[in-house]
Amino acid sequence: MSNIVEQLDAKISAALSGWNFYTTVLALLVFAYIAYPIIFHDEPDTHPMLLARQASASPVRQPGESAVYRSLEVPHGYPLKTGLNVKEPDAPKWSGGRDGDLRDIWRQVARGAHSEQGGSNVPAGKILTVLGKEDVKDHDVGDVSREINIIGKHIRQHGVTRVAIYLPNSIEFLSTVFACAFYGLSPILIPYNQPSNVVLELLQKTSAECLVAAAGALPLADVGQRVSSLKEIVWVVEKSSRQMDWHQKPEGTGNRVGVSVWHDLVLDQKRTTSVELPTSEQGSKPANITTIWQKKQGAMGEVIEFTHQNMVAAIAAQISALPARQRMSPSDLFLPADAFTHTYVLTLTLAALFSHASVAITSVASPGVDLSLVTRNIAPTIIVASAETAASLHRATHPTATSGLKKFAYYTETKALAGGRMPTDTLLTRLNAPIRAAVGSTPGKLRLLFVSERVGAGSPPLTSEQLSDLRVFTGARVIYALTAAQVAGAVSQTSIFDYRREEGRSGTHSHFGVPLSSVEVKLVDTSTHRTTDKGNPEGEITVLGPAVAGGKAALGVTGTFRDDHTLAYV
Amino acid sequence: MADINTSSSSAVAEAASFLTPLNILLIAILAISMYYRLKPQPTPTLPAPTAPTVFQTFTPPTLLPFDGRNNAPVYLAVRGRVFDVTPGKNFYGPNGPYANFAGRDASRGLASGSFDEDMLTKNLQGPLDTLTDLDDEQLEALRGWEERFSEKYLVVGKLVPVGSEEAQEAQKA
Repeated sequence: MSNIVEQLDAKISAALSGWNFYTTVLALLVFAYIAYPIIFHDEPDTHPMLLARQASASPVRQPGESAVYRSLEVPHGYPLKTGLNVKEPDAPKWSGGRDGDLRDIWRQVARGAHSEQGGSNVPAGKILTVLGKEDVKDHDVGDVSREINIIGKHIRQHGVTRVAIYLPNSIEFLSTVFACAFYGLSPILIPYNQPSNVVLELLQKTSAECLVAAAGALPLADVGQRVSSLKEIVWVVEKSSRQMDWHQKPEGTGNRVGVSVWHDLVLDQKRTTSVELPTSEQGSKPANITTIWQKKQGAMGEVIEFTHQNMVAAIAAQISALPARQRMSPSDLFLPADAFTHTYVLTLTLAALFSHASVAITSVASPGVDLSLVTRNIAPTIIVASAETAASLHRATHPTATSGLKKFAYYTETKALAGGRMPTDTLLTRLNAPIRAAVGSTPGKLRLLFVSERVGAGSPPLTSEQLSDLRVFTGARVIYALTAAQVAGAVSQTSIFDYRREEGRSGTHSHFGVPLSSVEVKLVDTSTHRTTDKGNPEGEITVLGPAVAGGKAALGVTGTFRDDHTLAYV
Repeated sequence: MADINTSSSSAVAEAASFLTPLNILLIAILAISMYYRLKPQPTPTLPAPTAPTVFQTFTPPTLLPFDGRNNAPVYLAVRGRVFDVTPGKNFYGPNGPYANFAGRDASRGLASGSFDEDMLTKNLQGPLDTLTDLDDEQLEALRGWEERFSEKYLVVGKLVPVGSEEAQEAQKA
C-alpha cells in the first residue's frame, strides 16, 4: 500500500518539480480565462426564453386560415389597443381615459410648453428644424399653435374640406396636419419630390380642394388647369425666396383659384389670432387622413383613407411596444429621417410629440437619404429611417478591407450581441473600437434606430446579419418593422432586445417580429401556401384591428409564422 | 567554440523548459476551455405547442362521438356553439355526473337545470331544439350558463341541423 502511495507521491513531486516561470504564466492565464466570466458576469438584456416564443397564437383556427397571432400585451379574448387613453389633467389617476385623436397630441405638446412658466409638472419637448449644415432652429410652441389657428381659419373660410399637402418634412407640414384636425378638414398627404404630372394626377384623383405646397414645386398653370376641384393654394416659401411675388393667380382659371402665401398670412394675422386652440366642443369632428402608397418612386400610388381612430390606435401601439425604460422620454431627441407621408414615420413622430420628446425636423428626409449627412449638426437619440437608408448605411460602413484589430473588435461585439447583451463602452472598446458609422454630431448618443420595410414597394431586404452589423456600427438598438399600405403605423415590429443573428440566409429579409398591439395577424391559405396541422403556418398575410383602414386588409404577400411566433416572409 | 556550444545548449534548455509536461497539461486545459467557450451555442428553443384546433361545423350525428370515450375530447353544444369541455372531463366525461351532455346539445338541460335523458333531442337527424317553449326564468338560467361556459371553455365549432346549407357547405370543403 505505502509503496503505491509513495510511488504516486514521488511521481507527483517529480511532475511538479518542473514548475518554472512559464508554468506560473500559463496557470494564471487558465485561471483568468475560466474565472473572468464568472466574476464579471453580464446578464443578457432579456431572457432568451422570452425570445423563443414572442407572440401568442389563438387556440382555435378557422379552416382555410391559420391561427390569429397577437402581441402578448393584448391576450386573446381581450380587445386590441384602440387609443391613447387621454385623460383631462385634473382627472383622478386611475380613471379610464378616452381614445383621443390628433388634437389631443398637440394639446399635450402645448401643455408641456405652457407649464414651463409654472403650474403642473408636464415636461416640455422642443421642436427643432435642422437647416442645412449650420443652423438648428428652435420653434416656440405658442407660435406654432398660432400658425395652426391662422392656417386652419384661413382654409375654412374658403369653405373647402379637402386639403392636399405637398411639402417636404417641415414644421408647416405638421402645422397643417394639426390645423386640419382642429378645424374639421381632411388632409391628403402627397409624397414629396415626385414628377409633377404624377402629383397633378394624384391631386385630381383625390379631388383636392386646397393645396398647401412648397413654392415653385409645381407649375402654377398646370395646377390651375389640371385639378378641377382646386379652390385655394397656399404657398410655403423658404426664406431665401421670399423677395419674389408669389401671389400670382394661375392663368386660365379666372377667379376660381385663390392664392395665398404662408408667411404673409402669418404676419398679417399674428396680432389678431390667439394661441388658444379650439376645444373639442367648439371644434368639429376630425376628418379622415388620406395617404398615398407608391410601389415605386415616381409612379402613381394607391389612395388609402385612414380615420383618426386608425392613427391613434397605431400611435398608442407604438408607445407601448417599447418596454417602460426604453420608451421615448423628454430626454430624447427624435429625428424622422424619412418622409412624413409614410404613416409609420408620422405615427412615430406623433408618438414622440405625445411623449414630450424633442423632435428634429429636416426637409431632406426621404426614403433614400444618407444618415450621416442628415445628422451632421445634431445628435439624435432615436431615428426612424427607411430600409434603403439602413442598407446604404451598412454598405458604406461595412468595409471590405480592415485591419486585424478592427476585425477582432467587430468580432467581440458581435459575440456580445449573440449572447444577448448590447455591447457597451468598456476600456477594451475604447482602446480598440470597431468601425463606427458617422451618425450624429456627438458619437454614442444614438440609442434606437427604427427601420421600416414597405410591402410591395421594392425596399431592399435587410438580413439578420446586416441588422446585427448595424447594431455594432451605430451602437444603438435596431428595430425592423413591416409596414403596409392599408395599416396605419406598422403591422409588426421586432422586439427591442432581439439581437439574435441568423447566419446563412443572405438576400432574404430578416423576420419582422411580433404584431403590434393595435392589430392581429392571420395567414389565409393561397393556392401555393397553406396551413396544416404540422409545421409552421403559411399563407397570405391578413391584418385585422383598429389600426387597419376598413378594419381588415390582405397585404398581397405570403408570410409565415416561425417557431418563435415571429412573422417572416416566405 | 566552447562558448557557442554552451550558449546554444542553454537556449535549447530554455526552449525545453517551456514544454514541460506540466506546461503542456496547462496549455491543453486552456485550449479545451477556449474551445468550449467559443463554440457557437445553439439558441434555446421551446418545444412546439399543440396545433390549434380547427373550427368545425358539426351536425348532431357528427358531434356524438366527442363524448370523452377512447381519448376523444369532450364537446357539448349550447345554443348552436360547441364548447370544448375536456378540462372539465370529471363532470362531463364518461362516468361523470353530467355525462349525458357530452356530445349532445345541452341547451334545454342547462336551462331547466336537469340532467335527465328527456332534456336531449331524441332525433339526431331532425331539426335542432328551438327552445321557444322556455319561460323567462329558464332563459335567464341558460344565459348565465352560456356566459360561464364562454369564460371557461373554448368555442371550437358550431352546431347546425342535418341537411341545412351550412352543413352541406362544410361537407364540401
